[in-house]
Amino acid sequence: MKLMTQDEITALKEKKVCVVGCGGLGGYIIEMLSRLGVGNITAIDGDVFDETNLNRQLLSEEALIGSSKAEAAKSRIQKVNSEVEVFAKAVFLREDNAVALVAGHDVVVDALDNISTRRILEKACSISEIPLIHGAIAGWYGQVTTIMPGSGVFSKLYPETAEKGIETELGNPAFTPALVASIQVSETLKLLIKKGEPLIGRLLTLNLLDHEYQIFEY
Amino acid sequence: MIQVNGKPMAWSEGMTVASMLKEKNYIFAKIVVKINGVFVPVDKYESTSIHDGDDVKAIHMLAGG
Repeated sequence: MKLMTQDEITALKEKKVCVVGCGGLGGYIIEMLSRLGVGNITAIDGDVFDETNLNRQLLSEEALIGSSKAEAAKSRIQKVNSEVEVFAKAVFLREDNAVALVAGHDVVVDALDNISTRRILEKACSISEIPLIHGAIAGWYGQVTTIMPGSGVFSKLYPETAEKGIETELGNPAFTPALVASIQVSETLKLLIKKGEPLIGRLLTLNLLDHEYQIFEY
Repeated sequence: MIQVNGKPMAWSEGMTVASMLKEKNYIFAKIVVKINGVFVPVDKYESTSIHDGDDVKAIHMLAGG
């Protein structure tokens, strides 16, 4: 397999990735990280499934409505790849717990659904000097960027008082989370095995409706 | 001629951010606009002129997960 060398595959088993949010993006991200063989995954989400999640959230099932998303991630991955250690944290990320939650990871992945928590996460990653892979979705649209510690990207991407984007008007279908999650996982892998050119200082925007895929430097 | 998201667009006298967004059919309220790298607040869309040669970015604001 030329994607990764045997040494890189072995090294991945020792890596620690933290996924913040186990919903639309997070479910796919955790699934792919475990199938890649990332050895340690922390899955953070204080939320429980409801019926509106069923259209897109990989980890959701009718029988799991009312159950913890983080615990569902752990349960799923134990069936997919029992060699992966999944640490389920059924809590919401806040100012007072963010640094402790992200500490010790090689990469953190943003699978959140609001801007204020993203700002808290970016700050915690900066303090802990951990790269953050940002992804966000809305309807036909998605975006991904790789945030290095101290670069303060969200203040450039989002207006100061913003909390939600156009997903409140468009909703989120089944396909956009899977696409954006895939790109976030490929960015994560590139950082973990130091290959390729991550989206550092660049925002990839995806418009599936008109097939416009662009990279903006910021 | 101006650039909108890296693509050329015809410039016209009196063009504002609001008229450009309308012409481009960018219908959603939650959009982030920058002209030559400078953020334009929503309440300034009607009054902010776009000049010939400007580099405009208009990106939908996404925050879903």
